[in-house]
Amino acid sequence: MKTAIYGIGNILMGDDGIGPAVVDYLTSNAMLDGDVTVEDLGTPSLDLPNYMTGYDRVIFIDAVAAADPPGTIRLYSREEIAATPPGIRISPHEPTINDALIVLDFAGGAPRDVVLVGVVPQTVDGGMMLSPVVAGAVPRVAAMVMDEVAKRYAA
Amino acid sequence: MIATEKRITIDPITRIEGHLRIDIEVDQGKVNKAWASSTMFRGIERILLGRDPREAWLFTQRFCGVCTTVHALASVRAVEDALNLPIPINAQYIRNLILIAHALHDHIVHFYHLSALDWVDVTQVLKADPAKASSIAESLSDWPNNSAKEMAAVKMKVKGLVDSGQLGPFAHGYWGHPAMKLPPEVNLIAVAHYLQALEYQRYANQVVAMLGGKTPHIQNVAVGGVANAINLESEAALNLDRLYSMKALLDKVVSFVQNVYVPDVCAVAGFYPDWFSYGSGVTNYLSVPDLPLDEASTKYDLPGGFIPNGDLSKFHPITGQKDPYWRKAVTEDSEHAWYKSGGPLHPWKGETDPEFTDWKEDGKYSWVKAPRFEGQAAQVGPLANVLAGYASGNPLMVKWTDAALSKISAIAKVKATPAMLHSTLGRHGARAVRTAVLSELAVKHWQLLTDNIVKGDSAIFNQPEFPKGEIEGVGFHEAPRGTLSHWVVIDNGAIKNYQAVVPTTWNASPRDSKGTSGPYEAALLGNPIADAAHPLEVLRTVHSFDPCMACAVHTFDPQGNNVAKVKVL
Repeated sequence: MKTAIYGIGNILMGDDGIGPAVVDYLTSNAMLDGDVTVEDLGTPSLDLPNYMTGYDRVIFIDAVAAADPPGTIRLYSREEIAATPPGIRISPHEPTINDALIVLDFAGGAPRDVVLVGVVPQTVDGGMMLSPVVAGAVPRVAAMVMDEVAKRYAA
Repeated sequence: MIATEKRITIDPITRIEGHLRIDIEVDQGKVNKAWASSTMFRGIERILLGRDPREAWLFTQRFCGVCTTVHALASVRAVEDALNLPIPINAQYIRNLILIAHALHDHIVHFYHLSALDWVDVTQVLKADPAKASSIAESLSDWPNNSAKEMAAVKMKVKGLVDSGQLGPFAHGYWGHPAMKLPPEVNLIAVAHYLQALEYQRYANQVVAMLGGKTPHIQNVAVGGVANAINLESEAALNLDRLYSMKALLDKVVSFVQNVYVPDVCAVAGFYPDWFSYGSGVTNYLSVPDLPLDEASTKYDLPGGFIPNGDLSKFHPITGQKDPYWRKAVTEDSEHAWYKSGGPLHPWKGETDPEFTDWKEDGKYSWVKAPRFEGQAAQVGPLANVLAGYASGNPLMVKWTDAALSKISAIAKVKATPAMLHSTLGRHGARAVRTAVLSELAVKHWQLLTDNIVKGDSAIFNQPEFPKGEIEGVGFHEAPRGTLSHWVVIDNGAIKNYQAVVPTTWNASPRDSKGTSGPYEAALLGNPIADAAHPLEVLRTVHSFDPCMACAVHTFDPQGNNVAKVKVL
């Protein structure tokens, strides 16, 4: 099963860089099979469908707007992504994962299986550092991503 | 205020980077005042201070998630300019191919996936006759994927979407709006090509990935050249196999641009000829030359320069990054922007110190500074570039402009002239012309690279060396959204100042200290507004510039009460 792990977010905008940070962590620490793509996509906006086409499952890591405290991690299913677009609207990356799924559901080529590991940010102001509480969540987010990858063997 | 006056605010038009807000006052069904502003401070240039100039491009390509390559290349060009460092010709060609492939991809996406819905009514597709749509499409070009069977399949797909009660990717359109004028069959052709465009833009993006190592963040750039190993004997390097797979991808994109995108834009323009009379605004045009043809970047394939007041006879060419005319002319004014300094500053002296006030229509109202060329507001983008090409007699620009105008004339049954390009539709037409020109240059630069490699030249990199003391450089690039320039000051090998003057800053510029409006603001004046709650016409004009920011429309009544808020994607 062709799997992709994508970090979404801008590394120049504080905790918005959580997705790319988890990708860096996985690249340095995780043992992944050759058929698993791991990539920091930045804020690909309308180009997002290009990176989803041809994959059976895609695991996204992104900052999400939620009422929970900063550093909180939450898993969103494909249905939840479709129902409530969880992307932060104040951050510099709109079209959401939801928009990309809508385009691919119409055009064809959408991955069957999509999950989003969301992390609540503390600050998305300019700067290249993650806040301590979000930086501290990186290993746990990575472990959650690896659990999702492992599920493909059970599927 | 008289009773017919309304103010409309557009706050989060496209949805790429940052946020754009547009406030409009409508009187007697027309826009009579407009303000363009950005609602988000980024200040990310400050992240670069003190860093190694050789690494700046790694950070600048994060400025925008969509124009990554654009900011990477402007950055290395700026540092090379400061060092007077030429780069090997292979490196020029490889960078040129990345720039072209990115632009082909970006222009196709802009038309089909960002702005076509301003002109195309998807719900009308259900009334279309697929056989008739096919014969109209086949009368426009030889594209093989215009059969009645193809059109019928797309119509069924749209019917499925409408029957499901959700319009999927088209949910944000203004269906049934009185300003929608395309016949059902042309709407069907547009949706069929929307789907095909999704496939073809991806091929262009694959070319960027093949040369750049990966996308969206390319890995192959360096101050001094590129990092693509060239070796015809090695499977791991840039060899003939790779060059020919790239050529196969480019050929597909070239065919799509010339046989689908250009005819589609001409057809849409032909059905909306009145939109050649709205949206001109600022008719000073700025573009810079691009696609260098020699190691020191003194000769270019695409011309650039400044055109004052839309007068092509006054075209002043810019000869290159070293041209003193260009180096001295650019300033940024913060009189109406939320920064401390007010008066115009040259980018090498530029400051990025925020000073936020509320949104004040006569005071500061934007996070975007007002860039000026010789003190004047200037419009940037494909129209500026095409007009520079037309004014300078560039053969490819002239050929494709004349071809597009004659196609539009045939469909609209009015004589389309170059003067009509100063308009909302002119910007769409010019973008299609530029894409067609780039499609021919894609093949040319592929051939130049291939011939040079086959000849035995594998040089890709010249080592940069930083002198003691202070040096200044500028790197420019005619990006998909227009003139981009990165201005760097380097002191003892470290970055002392860095300013990026980006295309959307030129076009979304607020007023300056003389009170002169920027291109968006000026272009909106006089636009008709059929329905203040659904200001489709505003979107047409703003989208025609291809803004790199998200925007929404708020409509206000004369008492300042919000009548409607429309999120514009």
